Amino acid sequence: MIRVRDLEFQYDKSDFRLRVANLQIADRERVAIVGPSGSGKTTLLNLFAGIATPHRGSVETAGQDVSSMSDRARRQFRVRHVGLVFQEFELLEYLTVLDNVLLPYFLTPALKLDDDVRARAVRLAEGVEIDDKLGRNVARLSQGERQRVALCRALLTDPSVILADEPTGNLDPSSKMRVVDLLLERAQEANATLVAVTHDHEVAERFDRVLDMGTLQ
Amino acid sequence: MPGSLYLAWRYVAHHWIKTTILTASITLIVFLPLGVRVLIQQSAEHLTARAEATPLLVGAPGSPLELVLNSLYFGTEMPDPLSYADVDSLDAGGLAQPIPLYTRFRAQSHPIVGTSLDYFAFRNLSVADGGLFTLLGECVIGVRVAEALGVGPGDAIVSSPESVFDLAGVYPLKMRVAGVLEFSDSPDDDAIFTDLKTTWVIAGIGHGHQDLTDASAAAGVLRRDSMTITANAAVVQYNEITEANIASFHFHGDLGSYPVTAIIAVPPDQRSATILRGRFEEGDLGAQIVVPSDVMDELLRTVLTVQTFVLAAVVVIGMGTLATAGLVFGLSIRARQREFTTMVKIGASPASVRWLVASEMAVVLSAAMLGATLLTFVTAAYGPPLIRALLL
Amino acid sequence: MTKKLLAALLLGGCAGNDDTQPDVANDETDAPVVYVSNYPLEYFANRIGGGVVRVEFPMTTATDPAFWRPDAAVVIAMQTADLILLNGATYEKWIDLVTLPAANVVNTSAGFVDRYLTVASAVTHTHGPEGEHSHEGTAFTTWLDPTLAILHAEAVTNALSERWPNSASAFQDNLAILREDLDRLDGDLGDATAALRDVPLLASHPIYQYFAAHYGLDIEAVTWEPDEMPSEREWNALRDLLRRHPARLMLWEAEPAAAIAARLAEMGVGALVFGQYGNRPDVGDYLDAMNANAERLGAPR
Repeated sequence: MIRVRDLEFQYDKSDFRLRVANLQIADRERVAIVGPSGSGKTTLLNLFAGIATPHRGSVETAGQDVSSMSDRARRQFRVRHVGLVFQEFELLEYLTVLDNVLLPYFLTPALKLDDDVRARAVRLAEGVEIDDKLGRNVARLSQGERQRVALCRALLTDPSVILADEPTGNLDPSSKMRVVDLLLERAQEANATLVAVTHDHEVAERFDRVLDMGTLQ
Repeated sequence: MPGSLYLAWRYVAHHWIKTTILTASITLIVFLPLGVRVLIQQSAEHLTARAEATPLLVGAPGSPLELVLNSLYFGTEMPDPLSYADVDSLDAGGLAQPIPLYTRFRAQSHPIVGTSLDYFAFRNLSVADGGLFTLLGECVIGVRVAEALGVGPGDAIVSSPESVFDLAGVYPLKMRVAGVLEFSDSPDDDAIFTDLKTTWVIAGIGHGHQDLTDASAAAGVLRRDSMTITANAAVVQYNEITEANIASFHFHGDLGSYPVTAIIAVPPDQRSATILRGRFEEGDLGAQIVVPSDVMDELLRTVLTVQTFVLAAVVVIGMGTLATAGLVFGLSIRARQREFTTMVKIGASPASVRWLVASEMAVVLSAAMLGATLLTFVTAAYGPPLIRALLL
Repeated sequence: MTKKLLAALLLGGCAGNDDTQPDVANDETDAPVVYVSNYPLEYFANRIGGGVVRVEFPMTTATDPAFWRPDAAVVIAMQTADLILLNGATYEKWIDLVTLPAANVVNTSAGFVDRYLTVASAVTHTHGPEGEHSHEGTAFTTWLDPTLAILHAEAVTNALSERWPNSASAFQDNLAILREDLDRLDGDLGDATAALRDVPLLASHPIYQYFAAHYGLDIEAVTWEPDEMPSEREWNALRDLLRRHPARLMLWEAEPAAAIAARLAEMGVGALVFGQYGNRPDVGDYLDAMNANAERLGAPR
């Protein structure tokens, strides 16, 4: 579950202000958040993930109040409970497909990279049909394939919450719906809560619920 | 392998061009001062050891450095010659054992050293294959000569003419290799040793030719009377000394007037050395006596001064190179800010990111240190002979 | 250079020996080795140093030492010897053709270079009108003059004493005895030649210069071999020689062939053997042979 109460957030040196009085997303619910550019969609995701902290109010994600955690605690929470999918994929060009999927384990000493984890990464790759490209450098993949790699990376730690920021923003129409379907299927398989930010209403309609930033604030 | 080290390795491997350039630059800047010091130190030790092993050197008046470089290291600059009578005088004086040297000639790039048997005991040279020269026209060669020319006992080496255009000059002499010396890690390894008289034959002041009293030599006779036969230029002179013609070889004139380029003087004790030096320094013997180690110390002082300037320049360049490398790293980090932000978002701590960057730098620096170390070892192994060849 | 070091430097490969090269002796004793270049030096070295040193004379009796040349094996052996005694006075034509350790080589006539005699009749050669030239030949049979033989012996003694000073006293004692023998020989030869002074004499070879100079003899030489009949031109040359040098006696190194002696006798010239003994005599030693020379020379004719 994700719960927001009396949230207020403002970036330093900016007039933009985000206010959400009350928001609740149930466990395993698949929600799309829509709104125009600059409406605060990505900011809201960052607050859900604990990447940013509100000036007022609280944010609970996966049953934990991330808004009151320390930086360190939020990072540790994020590693274990949150999977992130980015619009620009944010893969490391100098790593292979498999290494990109395993990235959280390389970055976090608390996560132990063993054969079970590698096997899980291979299964995830099979699930999104990129298992034949595991040894390939990501620079040689198509946009759709890259986003599927990013999806596997987000799912590797078995998060209870998946946050996707414009996951189809850089995809061509033929890849877009395929990736959306994979995102929805994998989230359901993982019993994870899925929140996706998108400006694409076609994509939003695939989700269980659509929230408009205009009505949230 | 820890995750950050693995990521660092993958990063530097992927950007191998940048990594190679950085590594090479740092390698060079670390190696240069080390290499220069090792090179000069080892070369100096080697040169000094040979000079210190040679107590005194007698030569014609002139440059002491030229005398030492030619006599000890067989350099190409030839000092003015002494006469063999000076060798006899030194011997008769009883203050030092004289070992004559005549180093005027070469066989290709290898110096031909005319000397006596005493030279080999003096330099602690031993024979690896064959034996020392016994007859006129034989030679003993250093091991590097044997390797370079592919010759061994029983083969032949031909001396090189001094000038291609000097038709009236010295003719090449074909010498039989009697033996090959053991490796000594000295200029002796590159030299061809003969009896002093053989080098006089090369010089043309000793020779063998047809018997002028024989009818077959008529074409070589200019004039004949009851007491003297005068030969002309057509007389066939032998350019190889064989069993068949060795008896015809002879030396005209007084051997005391024949040339040597230097005399190694080995005094039995310090007192004799001092007395001997005093006699030469009085200046009326028509020759100079030098202490080779003193001459080499002077040369090496100059080299060390140059080394200081070189090292100072290298340090300045090095600082510039390291600053450039630092700039490259800084710009790289700046360009990767988005990557690092993503890592933090995924869950990496800022410390982890710093470890990652530090690991990348460590990989480059480690490779550079390894490279510099290897280059230094290679320099220590192969550099000094190269320096000696360049110096001499 | 130490003997051991030089021995270690040299290997024993050698050319095949011919009749002039005896087998190199194996050094089975610890005695120092002294090489000599002719028989008189062997005799002197043995008289003076025998019992302390081992004297090596590296030629067979078939060789004329004046024309001998060592092969590589002998040179190697000489290089490892403790001492090499040379006659000097250009006797050893081979000395410039080999390599020997200078410190171990002693020219036993170096002390009387000013008494060397030139060979006026030697044919030499030069290269070009102003080119290199040889000196006139130098006579080398110095040992035929007993006073020079004494000087050779003294040089041998000095060389041995310098190297083996512990035995110097013994060497001097032996030299004293030898000197007495040579003085006696000098007297005998003086007596034998008394009647021949100012009498023209002939010699079959130009080898008696020092002998003639010491005893005041007037000897002209040809170059005849005792076993080869001279040509008619040579006989004619002899007749011409006899016209200006009316000799009645010719000295030979060895007994001339009967035909030669007979023809000489027809010309009024008698033949007398006076051996030079550069190599070992067939019978006896140097003193025996020289005394026999004196007897023949002094015998009534």
